[in-house]
Parts: sequence; structure tokens; C-alpha cells
Amino acid sequence: MKLPPIAIPKFLSTFKFKMPGKAVRVVALLLLLGLSGYIYYLDATIREAFEGRKFALPARVYGRALEVYPGLKLTREQLVDELRALGYHENPEPKDAATYRLTMNGIDFTSRNFVFGDGPQPSQHVRTEFADGKVSLLQEHGATDVDMPLLRMEPPVIGGIYPGHNEDRDLVRLDQVPKPLIDALLATEDRKFYTHWGIDPRGIARALYKTLTGQRIEGGSTLTQQLVKNLFLSPERTLTRKANEVLMSLLLEMHYSKNEILETYLNEIFLGQDASRAIHGFGLASHYYFDRPLDRLELQELATLVGMVKGPTVYDPRKNPELTLNRRNVVLKEMASLNVITQEQFVEARDKPLGVVQRAPTGTSPYPAFLQFVHRQLQRDYREEDLRSEGLRIFTTLDPFVQHQAEVALQSRLGEIEKARRIAANTLEGAVVVSSTQTGEIQAMVGGREARFAGFNRALDIERPIGSVVKPIIYLTALEDPSHYTLITPLDDSPLVWKQPGTSDWKPQNYDHKFHEQVQLRTALAESYNVSTARLGISLGVERILDKLPLYGIERRPPPFASSLLGAFGLAPVEVMQLYQTFADGGFRTPLRAIRSIVTADGKTLQRYPLNVEPVAAPAPVYLLTAALQGVVREGTAHALSNWLPADLNVAGKTGTTDDLRDSWFAGYTGDRVAVVWVGRDDNKPTGLTGASGAMTVWGEMMKNIQPEPLVPVVPEEIEMVNIDPVKAVRYADGCKDGVPMPFIKGSAPVETMPCPTATVEAPKVGDAAGMIAEAKPEAKPEVKLDVKPEVKPVVKLPAKPELKQEPEKKNWLQRIFN
Amino acid sequence: MKNRISFIFVSAWLLVLGGCAGVQAPIAITPATTPSGAPSTEPPAQPAATITPSAEPPTPTAPPGMQASQPAGEAVVVGPEPKPVMSGNRAVVALLDRAELDSKAGKREAAGAALERALRIEPRNPWLWLELAQVRLAEGQYAQAITLAQKSNSFAGRQLRVQSENWQVIGQARVAQGDSAGAEQALKLAAELAQQARQP
Repeated sequence: MKLPPIAIPKFLSTFKFKMPGKAVRVVALLLLLGLSGYIYYLDATIREAFEGRKFALPARVYGRALEVYPGLKLTREQLVDELRALGYHENPEPKDAATYRLTMNGIDFTSRNFVFGDGPQPSQHVRTEFADGKVSLLQEHGATDVDMPLLRMEPPVIGGIYPGHNEDRDLVRLDQVPKPLIDALLATEDRKFYTHWGIDPRGIARALYKTLTGQRIEGGSTLTQQLVKNLFLSPERTLTRKANEVLMSLLLEMHYSKNEILETYLNEIFLGQDASRAIHGFGLASHYYFDRPLDRLELQELATLVGMVKGPTVYDPRKNPELTLNRRNVVLKEMASLNVITQEQFVEARDKPLGVVQRAPTGTSPYPAFLQFVHRQLQRDYREEDLRSEGLRIFTTLDPFVQHQAEVALQSRLGEIEKARRIAANTLEGAVVVSSTQTGEIQAMVGGREARFAGFNRALDIERPIGSVVKPIIYLTALEDPSHYTLITPLDDSPLVWKQPGTSDWKPQNYDHKFHEQVQLRTALAESYNVSTARLGISLGVERILDKLPLYGIERRPPPFASSLLGAFGLAPVEVMQLYQTFADGGFRTPLRAIRSIVTADGKTLQRYPLNVEPVAAPAPVYLLTAALQGVVREGTAHALSNWLPADLNVAGKTGTTDDLRDSWFAGYTGDRVAVVWVGRDDNKPTGLTGASGAMTVWGEMMKNIQPEPLVPVVPEEIEMVNIDPVKAVRYADGCKDGVPMPFIKGSAPVETMPCPTATVEAPKVGDAAGMIAEAKPEAKPEVKLDVKPEVKPVVKLPAKPELKQEPEKKNWLQRIFN
Repeated sequence: MKNRISFIFVSAWLLVLGGCAGVQAPIAITPATTPSGAPSTEPPAQPAATITPSAEPPTPTAPPGMQASQPAGEAVVVGPEPKPVMSGNRAVVALLDRAELDSKAGKREAAGAALERALRIEPRNPWLWLELAQVRLAEGQYAQAITLAQKSNSFAGRQLRVQSENWQVIGQARVAQGDSAGAEQALKLAAELAQQARQP
């Protein structure tokens, strides 16, 4: 901030007074009044700025807190990753907070104190053991170890929302600051700090003399003056500025105690630059240079930081280690000369290396796409200046493990696809969103293959045609009318010409450029036939279907043309996510959430974003839709997903491919997670990828590593299982092995029971939802099916029988061999 | 000497000036708007119906069979039957206990947060959804209470007792919404289910 120079009212001198003595006094009085006004102005400025600065804390954004409990699916390696991400250090005696030790088949560690929104949680010394990929033991260490039902780890910091000039800081209270740091600071920067009035007259006189005599301009500043400079003044060196600095320092000392000034100084002083982020204060600098909190630094490390105060750009330990080391030793020497450290301490500290970590911990979030999503949600509800200055703590839903798998899968698969298809490297882009099924919490968001790069966020900001990914909404609309539509209702897939005013004639084509006459509803969805789907959608009503989108949280209004039925309108992956989240959750829409709660700097919950649920579709039709979407994966366009995931996960999903193979989509769900993947090019040129050969492979690779739960939807009361011939779509008696159990809304299944072509055997458990899952192709001869994905060799599909659990695995094995 | 006097004078003068300036209080932060899609943390304005769901004496619209039922809003089942086993997972049980304590202390937000933690562990446990529905009911969020009870029912399978309690929540929420016909229907169903649940 620049202050106006002191203005001496010149006109005063032109007045003539009868008595010179009186004139002088009047002038003096006026001067004094002017100066008073000016000082009053300065005073208001510094107080406002000082009070404001005291609270200028960036919002801290946390990922989800890992909840550890016996039986949790978690490996020892995963917990070690979590602990390391939380900044825990290995220690043979892990008694201090944030230390751990690996044991035979577990980890011993001591957690940190942490203040959650619902109160403080004390540090705990914990013993864990693992078996079969699960937590098998969780005990609190003590005289006798006690079983714990649950341990909530402290959540990892995943980013911050910084004040205006991208200043980051990690606030420390004076009583948390190690004494040697204060000693070092006072010894080198301001020995009379506790006794002066804010300025050091001799220092100023010396500086003034040197400046006036044309020697080099120099400081001679007290800590108070340095703070004033940091807080209020521009870096230029003029006498006016110096005068302001002196006045403001005096004022500051009058209002605030030495300790308040020192504490603010410790948090305010500039100590380095990390790209666009300015490192302010010793608390943050300690993390930035040593990757440890201030109270865990050793003497020489504290001295290094103090040495940097003189000029953090010059004494940058990463750029100029030698200069910094010398400067550090000067600080140590000053300390020794004041006897705040002993000679032995001095020698020991002096002989140690700098010990700065070479790679600075990332300050800007490692998860920029997710953070952007969080920030946007916050901006809707809060003023920007509060986010940047009030030290809010924002608890989010990000799961670093899931996020990591999503990032790795996207990056590795895009690279592999480019290689296998001889596509120029780094031309494909993609985006991934993952949420939990029942709570709608976003666990991962990847905005591009360079996941660390805070650039264009494709998960949120692309608007790409979604193609066949939209189809389930048409099929759901049909299945909501069980008197006309069931999973086996024949649909017409013969050529279609649709005339609609305002648009040219529309002649939808199938991907294979063939027409298939009559196809079962479930097959039309499984094979993603465009013609029969378009006809179905038109007969149900284009408007009626598009009108449903807002129910699923999709606010964008697609053009009211029939082509919208085949996804000829753009959406972002996160919007597609909301659609599938609702399918996955049995027709209940849970608005996607990235934030759980916001807590103020002093630990009060400011706002919670509670779990809300809205029923938007009846459970029974959604159940049928899920069964059909499981068919897509089991035997339809997404069957190659079995290259990644075992068949018994019963994944439900849908591929999406757009004109000229520009966009590749896959959206699907397991028992506990919903995920959407988009793959395409930023310049919107064709990629040569279908939904199955692009996005689905990313989805499969990611889920393989996440190890999701199998999808076993709850069977609504209105659903019954009926034994159906999968080809002829006729009903058999329950025992007939030519049929497979298929779900129907009660009363909608074929009434007439046909004689069983082969001898009746013991019935597979009809009426059990799982029966549907084991449904198999009826053809006795092995079917050779050409996949659209060139790098996947023709897949030999063996018939799988419900009784034979081995078959699906064998298929996978065979496919892998052929791959 | 003169120097010192003038210095003291200047200081005293600065002190007076400084003292005059008022200290600015830090600005209170409040959400600028309610989060979209999520109701405000404040309970919404009471609907026109004068009956509140937490009313201890049986509501006039409640059929006589429901008189012995527990008051709504308590996250605890205090019916004549022993407390059901809501989960076999000790972590979930611990969180349920915590939610119960919070509820009793009137800390409904905290109770809701504890239940959400439990739901992350067992997302398909109908008892947890029921408990959350009861918290929302006590908070006066009747529409959410009904939806959550419906969701609980979707996971309830043949567990009649949890179904009965869900219909109880739905009935009481409808009472508060002023839908007495719907309430009567729900409460009747709740009573029937409770009856069936008691039969061995």
C-alpha cells in the first residue's frame, strides 16, 4: 500500500501576521493539526490492517478422514501410504504423534490430535494387524491393549484457498514456536526488541546518514519496522516511506504488546516463493523447506530459516545452498556470542549440513480438478474474501486411494491406447469421476491425463455429445410402463426416417450399419442399437423423455429433436455421473457432494452439507434397468470389460460412442461405486475409439485396482423372477433348464407357460435376484464374436451355465490368452 | 533532556490519537446463500399444521393403536420390545451410540453426522437410514424424513420391525405436513407391521 507523502500546506507561509511570534505559533498549530489528522489516518490504517492480517488465513481443504475398523478392506500397504501422506515418519518407538513402526503383520502408530467438526480427538497410540486384505486387529496401546471399535484418522490436507496474492501460511502461536528460533531471530535481527519503542533511533540515524551521504541505502530496521514494511508498505526505499514506517511502528507498539507483534511477525514474514505461491511465516516455511512442523526442527534448521529473513531470494537454500549455509552459521555465531547457545551447541550445529528437502511439498493442491469443484461449490455459498482469509477448514469427500487409481488408470490406458493404435503421443485426453453409490460423495475427480496440472478441467467443463450413454433414460421410461414394456418386449429395428419440422430428415443408423428387425428390449440396449432405441424414444415422446433430465440433476436442456434421444447433445462427465448415480441408487437421487462440512478456525461447525435423498424413479423399473445394464456388460457392447473385472462383480454400465468416433464414454456402477469416464481429443477430432475401446478400458483398469463390491441390487417387492427362454422370449415352468430367471414387474411377465424343450431338472433358484446375474447365453455352440476394439483379439465366448460357476473365469482366462 | 521531554510529549500525543481510533471487529461469516440442493441447516419454517412431530402426547390424528409408540425424534427405540440389534459391526454400533448421545443432548446435526459416518461403513443397513430419518424428523425436515424412511424401506427386505418404524416416521412427518389422511394410512400400516413383527 502506498501512502501519500506528508503534505505541508504551503499557502500558510504566504499569510502575513502582525506579530511574527503569533504567526509561528499558528503555523505550528496548523501543522500539528494536519499532522494529527495524518497520524490518525495512519493509525486507523495500521489497526485495520493488523487486525485483518491476524486473521488472514487461507481455507484449508481436507480429504476424507479414513475410518479404520476391524473388518475394513484395507491392506497394510494402503495404511502405510495413508500415514505417509499424512506426514507420519517411521520410528522404532512410535510413541510421538505422527510416527509409525511396521510390525510382523501390522503397523503400530500414534495418531495426532485433531479437532474435527464434532469436537477434538486426542492422539492415540494404536496397534493394527492385517489379514486377507482386511484389518484384523485394532487396539489402543496401553498397560493392557484395549480393542477399539473404530479409529478415525486425521484427514489429509489436499489443498488451500489462498488470500489475494496467493499467500500461504501455516499459522503458529507464539507458545508453539521453539525458543531457539526466537533467540536466533532476536540475536540477528533486533537485539533490543523487548526494550525499544518500535524504532531504534541509532539505527535510523545510521541509515539516514548513509542514505543522505550517497552511500548504499540500508535498513537498520527493528522487527516492528520489518513487520510494518511487510504489512503495509511498498518495497521502494524513500525517505517518505521511511518516515511512514517509523510513525507506524510507533503506533503499532502503542496498540499491541511485544508478544502480539512478535507472533504476527513470525507468521507474516516473507520466506520464499513457490511458483505463484508466496511462502509467509515460519510455520509454512518449516514445511516448505524441511517437510516437518516447526516444533520438530533442530537448532541449525531454525537458524537457517532465521538467516533467510535477510533476503529469502538470495538465501534460498535450494538455489544457493552455500550462501545459505554461511548465513546460517552467522546466525549461530550471533547466538553463541549472546550465550543463548553454548559453544558445544554452536560447534555441533555449525558442522551439520543444511538438511533441506530437495523437493518442496506441493503447496498448490495435488488434486486441482477436485479442488476446483470444491471451490466452485463454495463460491456459490460463501463470499470469496471469507474463503481466502478466515482460516476455514473444509472437509471434503476426496478419497486419495480412489483418486490415485483413477489418475493412474487414465494416464496408463491413454498411453497404451496411443501406442497400440499408433496414435500420436499425448493427443488423447480424458476425464474420470468416481462417487460412492449410496451417499453420492465424489471420491475422485480427474480433469485430464496430467492430473497434477491445474488447467482445463474436463470432468467439469467439457460439453461433449454423450451418445448412447443417454439411452438408459429412454429404456427406464419404457420400463415404467409394465403393461407395454418388459425386458423381453420386441422392439422394431427396421429402417427409420423421422421428419420433424425445424430439422432435416433423420435416419438413424446402427453402429454395424445393419438393421435387426425385431429385437428384445434388453438386447437393443445391450447391443446399443440406435434404430430401435430411436423408434422407442419417439413412440414414448421426445419431450417426455427430455423433460425427465432435470429430475436427474441435469439442468442443461438438450435441443427438442429426436436426435437428442441418441445423445446428440453435450454434457460434462459430472452431469452424466448424476444420472447414473440415480440408477445405481435404485431411483433415489442423492445430489453429488464434494463437501461434508465447513468448520471455522476455532472449531465451530459453520455449515454441514447433509446427505439428502430424493426419490425420482420407482424402484422396480430401475431394478429392471439395472438388470439390462448388467446385460450390456455381460453380453453386450461392454463385454470386454471382463478383461479387467471378474464376471461375478455383475457390473452395470453403458458405452457411448459419438459420430466419427470423436467421443468415447463409459458410465457404470458396482455395488459401492459409480464412475464415468470420457476419452476424446481437445481439438474434437476423431479418435478412432468407441466407448468400449477407449473409456471403458480406463474404467476397467481403474476399478480392477479399486476392487469394488459386487453389484447386488435390492429386489423391490413389485419384482418377481420368471423362467424365460432368452431367445424365444417365452415362459417355461420354473424347473426348465432352457430358461433363465429374468425379473419382471409383477403381472407383466408372459402368462402362458410353454412346454420345456428338454427334460425338466432341479430348478435353479428362481425368485432369487442373483439368478439373473448368472444368466447365460443359451446357444450350445461357442460363438465367435468380433469386438470393435482392434487391439482386443476376437473373443471366444463360451456358454456359461448358471450351475457352473467356473465358466466365467475360464472365459476371462481364455480372453487373456488371446489378448 | 529537552529531547526526552519532547519524545515523551510526542508519544503521549500519539497515544491519545491512537486511543481514539476504534477497533474494527472481525466480520462474521455467514453463508451467502443456502447450498443449492441441500436444505438450510436451520429447520424450515413450520408448516401451517399446529401439530409438531415431537409432541409427547399422542397426536389427535394418530389411531388409538399407536398410543404406546415412542415419541418421534428420539434416535432410540424405547418401545416395549428390547432394542434391536442394528448392526453386527462394532464400529457402526459405536457410531450409533454416539448419535444417540448427541440426539439426547439435542445435538441433532452432530447426530446426523455420526449416522452418516455409519452409513459410509454400512450403506445398505436399513436401521441407519431409519435413524437418520428420525433425526430429520426431529429437525423439522419432514420431506427428507419421509424420503429417508422410504429409502430405509427399500433396504428393509422382510424386516418388519424396521418397516413399521419407517411408516411411523412417515406418518408423523405427514401429520406435521398437515396431510392427515396420508398420516393415518401410514400410521395404520405401521401398527399392522408392528403387530406382525411381534408374532413369532
